[in-house]
Amino acid sequence: MSSIEIEAKTTQEAIEKACKHFHLSEEELDIEVLEIRSTGIFGMVGNKKTKIRVTPKQDNTIVVAQETLRKIVSLISEDTKISAEKKGDDIILTIEGNNPRTLIGHRGRTLEALEFIVNKAVNKASEKKVRVIVDSENYRQRREEFLKRLAFRVGEKAKKTKKTVATDPMSPHDRRIVHLALKEDHQVQTESKGEGFLKEVLIIPNKNNIDENTE
Amino acid sequence: MEMKELIEYIAKVLVDNPEEVKVTELEGRQTSVIELRVAKEDLGKVIGKQGRTARAMRTILGAASTKIKKRSVLEILE
Repeated sequence: MSSIEIEAKTTQEAIEKACKHFHLSEEELDIEVLEIRSTGIFGMVGNKKTKIRVTPKQDNTIVVAQETLRKIVSLISEDTKISAEKKGDDIILTIEGNNPRTLIGHRGRTLEALEFIVNKAVNKASEKKVRVIVDSENYRQRREEFLKRLAFRVGEKAKKTKKTVATDPMSPHDRRIVHLALKEDHQVQTESKGEGFLKEVLIIPNKNNIDENTE
Repeated sequence: MEMKELIEYIAKVLVDNPEEVKVTELEGRQTSVIELRVAKEDLGKVIGKQGRTARAMRTILGAASTKIKKRSVLEILE
C-alpha cells in the first residue's frame, strides 16, 4: 500500500479527503500530520495549508476489494453476500445470492466487468499489484472445464477434416484457456483472429504432423 | 434511481477527483440515459484503454437494468 500526501484547509478536511481517496474510514488509515496551517494575523498572512501523510493500514486491499464489490452488487441485486479469501497474492471474491445468472451474465461478461472494475479500484490505492478474482456459483471453474472440452473437441475436428476450424469470438481470458489446452497437441496450432476485444481462435491442423492412425 | 447511484459509485471509485463526478439520469418510457461527467483529467480513467472501462460500466449497468426491465444507456460526456 502506498502513502499519499494531502493538503487541505484543516486537518479534518484533509482526513476526509484521504478517506474518500482510499475508500476507507479514518480508523483504517495511518495519519501523520506534516504541516499545520498557520492562521497568521487576521488570517491574512501564512496561508499555508495543512498537510498530512496518509498510509492505509496493512492488508486493507482485501477489505477495499470486498467492500467495493459489495456496494456495486448491492445496487444490482438484493440479498447478496460477498465472501473474500486470499490465495497467494490473489484475492478471491465470491458472490452468493439469489440472482447468480444476472451477476454472471452472458458467458460471464458481467463477472468479468465486475472483476475489472474491482481490480482498478484496488490497484489505485496500492503500489504492489494485486489480482482480484470475482466468482459466483463456481462459474470460473465450470467455464474453464467447458472451454477445455470445447478446445479438445474442435481440435479433433480440425485433425479429422484437415481443415482450419474457428471458435466463436471470445474474450482474452477464454482464448487463453483454449490456446493452453491445445498447446501440447503438436498435430494442431492455434491462433487468434479478429479485431478488438473479442476474437476467434483458429485451430489449424499441422498437415505434416497428423497421425493417420488416430481415426 | 439506483442506476444513477450505481454509475456514480463506480465512477467515484475510479477517478482521482470524486467530487467532480456528476451523474444525471434522463428517464424515458423504455430507455433511461445516464449521463456521466468527470474532471477532464479523469476522462481517461472512466473510458480506459480501448474503452475497456467504459464497456465494463455498460455491462454492469446492463445487468442492473434487467431488474427494472428497462434499458439503460451510459453516455460519457466531455
